[in-house]
Amino acid sequence: MGTISFNAVSKVYGGPAGVRALDNVDFQIGEGEFVALLGPSGCGKSTLLNLLAGFEPLSDGVLTFDGQAISRPGPDRGVVFQEAALLPWLSVWENVVFGPKVQGRSAAEYEDKARDILKIVGLENFHQALPVQLSGGMRQRVGIARVLVMEPRALLMDEPFGALDAQTRLSMQQLLLEVWQRLKTTVLFVTHDIDEAILLADRVCVMTARPGRITRDIPITLPRPRSLDDLTTSDFTRFKAMIMAEMRAGHH
Amino acid sequence: MTATAETSPPPSASGESLRYLGARLRQYGAAILLPLTLVVLWQLAGKDGSLAGGALPTPDRVWAAWKIWAFGTPSGMSLSPYVGTWAESVLFSAQRVAKGFALAILVGVPLGILIGWSKLAQAMVDPTIQWLRPVPITAWLPISIAIFGIADFGAVFLITIGAFYPIVINTTQGARDVEKNWIRAALMMGAGRLDILRRIVLPAALPSIFTGLRIGLGIGWTAVIVSEMVAVKSGLGYVLWDAYYVGRMDIVIADMVSIGLVGFLSDWLIVRLEMWVLRWRRLQNFNG
Repeated sequence: MGTISFNAVSKVYGGPAGVRALDNVDFQIGEGEFVALLGPSGCGKSTLLNLLAGFEPLSDGVLTFDGQAISRPGPDRGVVFQEAALLPWLSVWENVVFGPKVQGRSAAEYEDKARDILKIVGLENFHQALPVQLSGGMRQRVGIARVLVMEPRALLMDEPFGALDAQTRLSMQQLLLEVWQRLKTTVLFVTHDIDEAILLADRVCVMTARPGRITRDIPITLPRPRSLDDLTTSDFTRFKAMIMAEMRAGHH
Repeated sequence: MTATAETSPPPSASGESLRYLGARLRQYGAAILLPLTLVVLWQLAGKDGSLAGGALPTPDRVWAAWKIWAFGTPSGMSLSPYVGTWAESVLFSAQRVAKGFALAILVGVPLGILIGWSKLAQAMVDPTIQWLRPVPITAWLPISIAIFGIADFGAVFLITIGAFYPIVINTTQGARDVEKNWIRAALMMGAGRLDILRRIVLPAALPSIFTGLRIGLGIGWTAVIVSEMVAVKSGLGYVLWDAYYVGRMDIVIADMVSIGLVGFLSDWLIVRLEMWVLRWRRLQNFNG
């Protein structure tokens, strides 16, 4: 499991006169920690995740993962995309084993694990289905399964449930809680949903836009293991009130 | 969890298949109506088996000529080239189109992927392609004959050139429009550069590639007829021009209809292949 460290990281798009998406961000995630990055759209939270994933280069500062500077994407940081970003011409099974396969591992090595993980995410009867034949929630289950099969040292999730209906989102949150409580992987979870952030995370970091900065870092001390029942407790509501006040203050 | 599980209760099987058959018949009927009308009008416009002052034969004479061309057995001293040689001519042409088309795919698809994927390849190769493209295949005839002579490969060469442009251009377009997150996801899962090209860019570009294949095959048929008229001594194009010279307009027209038919058939094969290869995409379109 990995530790993540942003030191004075900035990201500017489109040359010297461009948009400053991230401004001097200092931010750490400890090993096995679940951190939610919360903020309105356009505040730079996805940019932060993309830098960590290695999809985009930083403009300034130092960004390390397990003490190593990040230079490119890799299977040690598994990314779950908002719209799942499955490969539509591959079946569920082929999507899930894509990673181990291109990494040149032997089928004997990954097939059992892929089968187990597909069972955990509830898709054991859909191995041969194409992504287009699945509902949005099922597609995102595949998106999670294909990352878990690589045993990444960190999970980077970019509003993974943002496009799902409320009902499905709840069941996906429940699933993620169960999986995480079992694996205890380091997670960076980007969201604009306050409830989701509190329910899932050990820490909620609030971001504001223009320039993109992390303005508050709030530890969520709700006991684990958590479940959807936590959404209605008074402790939960207290955290929610606090974060909402924080976001309003940051909004001017 | 409901996406694929729902199926409506099966309607009475025979009623369903009857309705399907009816729809199919209506479709074929609609398709045949226009050509049938044209042929009938053409027949009625003629007098004594010809029209336009004797220049053109009527359909019944074309049909009769085609039957002899296709099924006749050459007898005695009359060495007519238009007796029983139809299948042979069709095969000559089709075999050239197949070779030239295959060559165009072999060059056009990898090159298109490369141009669409790499800015360097685009800068180095694309301008040349765009600059050669306006040169029509007919303009390549002299060079083709000079190099290959009156021979089979001259025709294959022209077909390759004709089919190459639409294939390379559509492949380039497809390779350029690959969704960013598919590539990011593959990189994240540890894919190397070659994996990205082979496992992401190529399949993602397939819908465009098939568009290029269909256009390219059509041009391939044009190219084979043109080159057989001038630079080769067999095939439908050769028969077409030869029959014209000896005044056999019935064979000319039968030949034209044959070209249309085999061209249509080869396109149909590509469409079937496309439907099978791009199953994932067809389902996507159905679901809206």
